[in-house]
Amino acid sequence: MLRHAAERIALALPVLLGVVLVGFLLMQVVPTDPAIVRAGPNATIDIVEAIRRDLGLDQPLHVQFGLYMWRLVQGDLGVSIINNVPVSQELGATIGPTLELMFAALIWSIPLGIGMGTLSAYLRGSWLDRLIMAISVGGVSVPVFFVGLLLIWFVGFQWQWLPFTGRQGPLWTLQGLRGVALPAITLGGVFIGPVARMTRTAVLEVLSADHVRTARAKGLTETAVVLHHALRNALIPVVTLIGLQIGFLLGGAVVTETVFSWPGVGRLAVGAITSSDFPMAQGTIIVLSGGFIIVNLIVDLLYGVLDPRVRGA
Amino acid sequence: MSAALSARPSVLRLVFRDVAAAAAASFLLLVVLAALFAPWLAPVDPYETDLMSVMTPPGGDYILGTDGQGRDMLSRLLFGLRMTLLMGVAALVVGGVIGVSIGLIAAHWRRLDGVLMRLMDVMLSFPAILFGLALAAIFGPGLVAVVIALSVATVPLMARIARSTALVVMAQDYIEAARATGMGSFRLIRRHLAPNCVAPLLVFATLRLGQVILLGSALSFLGLGAQAPTAELGAMAAQGRTFLFFAPHIAVIPSLAIFGIVLACNVLGDALRDALDPKLRP
Repeated sequence: MLRHAAERIALALPVLLGVVLVGFLLMQVVPTDPAIVRAGPNATIDIVEAIRRDLGLDQPLHVQFGLYMWRLVQGDLGVSIINNVPVSQELGATIGPTLELMFAALIWSIPLGIGMGTLSAYLRGSWLDRLIMAISVGGVSVPVFFVGLLLIWFVGFQWQWLPFTGRQGPLWTLQGLRGVALPAITLGGVFIGPVARMTRTAVLEVLSADHVRTARAKGLTETAVVLHHALRNALIPVVTLIGLQIGFLLGGAVVTETVFSWPGVGRLAVGAITSSDFPMAQGTIIVLSGGFIIVNLIVDLLYGVLDPRVRGA
Repeated sequence: MSAALSARPSVLRLVFRDVAAAAAASFLLLVVLAALFAPWLAPVDPYETDLMSVMTPPGGDYILGTDGQGRDMLSRLLFGLRMTLLMGVAALVVGGVIGVSIGLIAAHWRRLDGVLMRLMDVMLSFPAILFGLALAAIFGPGLVAVVIALSVATVPLMARIARSTALVVMAQDYIEAARATGMGSFRLIRRHLAPNCVAPLLVFATLRLGQVILLGSALSFLGLGAQAPTAELGAMAAQGRTFLFFAPHIAVIPSLAIFGIVLACNVLGDALRDALDPKLRP
């Protein structure tokens, strides 16, 4: 178990380092001088020079990378070129809403997807199976922004049922729930397809396993066989496969946030890149990538806990 | 390519027995033809603005209506298909050639296998949308950044499939025979290994084309891909978003086109895979 964990962490570290290196290189190709930006418009040349020394910009590249890492560890990601706000401050304000959106999307789509996949596998070949699989293929084929725009047009604009721009408040208030509804339906909606497909495959595999045949042979009811013996074992691969879909979820979140003007990291990243706000872009990419790598690592380790067979491998 | 499929006529027959797969293949063919002949099919220049008829709904003088600048939606759709397909195919070809080469090298020179596949695992663990964001930040938003990002994201997937297929082929007697005749590594790979890995790769390429188009148009929608006047489906949908409440057709038409293409790729790819791998057949 420890070896498995150590190996996984050893694999994640170079990726994390690569992400930081990309962030650093991004700051090197920036056409603007960070010292001038930080000094403000009225600074004298002496002050700019002092800040340059202070930031280590007069040092060779590898020393600068070291300094960059040191500042990163302390949470200093620089200052936005556009509005002079520290990048870490903006990030701090947007991470919450992004996590909130993902949570609201997953809380309904994962159970529904697993339910649909199990039903589909159990009734393999029936019209219901075919219908569920057709919905899943449609779900993995539809552009996220299309779902969002349709919901905005019908539910938000035509019928005026729910708000469709921005965050309305915290999740535990009615306002907040109403505000997160449409973005969560959009993001969760495209997640159901992959979850249902993966669950179906996993349950089908388990249904033909020896222990399920034994359970049937000893006279258990079909419901007991499916729920206790098949689904339970099928959930192990489903958990990892859902973990593997986190990248997919992240991509969906970036688009969903943009469509619904949701104040999250994804929208911040897109805005920063399109307005050439390099420090902000760098910060958002590091946070999104770092978050992704850490979640991936956790899922990997969780898999080892759930399935003892993985640990030795 | 068709040689590998026609060698097994049952595969094609199996695919086309499926009505949905046949419909998907026909639709894709239609889309490709429309994209190829866009300059001849388009009624007007897709960049010509007619400010007297802005946001006209479909079904008048302009069959699919006009957009916010009074440009003909049908012409823009045809040229948009062209640009979006070009983006997808470019990424697929670049990523495919590099990925397949890596996969074949890993399968043939076993000593390189561990290092190459670890590298692929690392690349695979990274979501394409983040490649897209990072490359758009470095090179500036544009189709080039999107194509590079999508290619990079395609490489490890292609490498894995090429490797696993090649390993099966490598164990065949005819490879041993070819080797016994003293054939060199590169000739062996080109003459015997690569041609026999084509079918599974083709199936995967079909599925991947859909995913790449979905991702690429999402990046364009975000403003990180094709830029403003360019007729590209994702960028067109983004423009339509501004006029959503006045003229929903401007966003709906390109979005539906993307949906259709990706759906067709997925349906066809699934059918091809089921036909090639009898274990998965329902």
